[in-house]
Amino acid sequence: MTADTRRWNTEKGSTVLKTIKEVLRVGDATVKYPFAPIERPRDARGKPEHDSVKCFACSACANACPPNAIQTSLDLTAGTKSWSINYGRCVFCGRCEEVCPVDAIRLSPEFELAVMKKEDLEEICTYSLQRCSECGEFFAPTKAVDYAKRVLAQSNTLNDDVSLALDSINLCMSCKQKQDAHRYWEQSRRAGELLC
Amino acid sequence: MLIDREVSGQLQHKLDKITLDESIVKAKAALLNDIKRSIYLYRVDCGGCNGCEIEIFSTITPIYDTERFGIKNTPSPRHADIMVYTGSMTRLMRLPAIRAYQGAPDPKIVVSYGSCGCTGGIFHDNYCVWGGTDNLFDVDVYIPGCPPSPPQTIYGFAMALGLLGQKLKHTEITEVPGEQVPIRFETIPYKVRTALERKARLLSGYRSGKDLSDEFMTALALGGTDVFAGIDALIAAQDDPRKKEVLGELKAELKTQLASQEL
Repeated sequence: MTADTRRWNTEKGSTVLKTIKEVLRVGDATVKYPFAPIERPRDARGKPEHDSVKCFACSACANACPPNAIQTSLDLTAGTKSWSINYGRCVFCGRCEEVCPVDAIRLSPEFELAVMKKEDLEEICTYSLQRCSECGEFFAPTKAVDYAKRVLAQSNTLNDDVSLALDSINLCMSCKQKQDAHRYWEQSRRAGELLC
Repeated sequence: MLIDREVSGQLQHKLDKITLDESIVKAKAALLNDIKRSIYLYRVDCGGCNGCEIEIFSTITPIYDTERFGIKNTPSPRHADIMVYTGSMTRLMRLPAIRAYQGAPDPKIVVSYGSCGCTGGIFHDNYCVWGGTDNLFDVDVYIPGCPPSPPQTIYGFAMALGLLGQKLKHTEITEVPGEQVPIRFETIPYKVRTALERKARLLSGYRSGKDLSDEFMTALALGGTDVFAGIDALIAAQDDPRKKEVLGELKAELKTQLASQEL
């Protein structure tokens, strides 16, 4: 072995040793997932979690949803309104969360959404509808009417507007209009009597 | 009247789905159950926005490194075990998609990647979009996401290879009679609450604005007799100057609201 080769060997050996040391110092950059859970930021945009108890099927999310992942449909014979979400169509934009008046839907960091069957991507919730106390037609989800009633009752200033709204809360839109027209007619008649 | 929203489907052309031989179905099931080799992946973009491709390439970087499972991106469908279809199935890309499918040897696993691949996604009602990949082929794994992040992708493949179980299940929930929507912060008047929420959203967006107004109103509801003491303590406890400022603005808003209520 010549002197040159010997020197080259020792240099090479030291380089390899250096490299190994460096690799040990830096460590492994690869994440352990899927063998260990992965850390996700708190506000990562993942699966929109829908709380069916908090939801009153107002369809605000269905109107806002850009890809129509959230849809609502009415069944007037059965008197139900169904709310459905297809996670396979969702683009995780958070518009549903933005428009929800009761915080029933919120994007969670949950990201493990892959499925083997397409049906598993769907979630369907069914809500009952309320009949109008005057004409007997379905007009709004029962929970929505109940929520509006309690919010109105909660407002501590019970002025005329609030009590009027509470009076006609079980009426459908056309019956409400009729009631308003009737009330206006009564008022104007009384005003006319006063003038005479 | 109630708004009943219908998504029009009349512009969608219906395709004949490619059906599989019984023997191939059996071989495929056996392959899915027990893959004892590295799997090669071929990716077809049928008409997406390329977001999915970018995420696939970040999945094969050293951080997420799918090659440690033997998953390798291949440039030819002739070498592929897994066909990954990204993007919604568009009219013009249907023939290349079918050619790539026929080019891969049987049994092959078909993966629908991204929202567009699963159902057509945001382009589902476009005139040239025929929906998801499942209109043409039998899909084995659906990976939703817009685009699916690298962990989401790894989860999809890990689920297909049997390393992890499926989490999402089809759910149908029916309203229980007598179920009531809880009113948030019942002790705070409705008008004050909405005014505070609006102010917070205006200042820092719907998400962190909501978080901040929730914090603020929790302190307000707990306050008892001295309303502002709890709020001052909350503001003093904040490290983030931005949060401090927003909470201060909310306090000012509360003062104006209280003044207008008393009038």
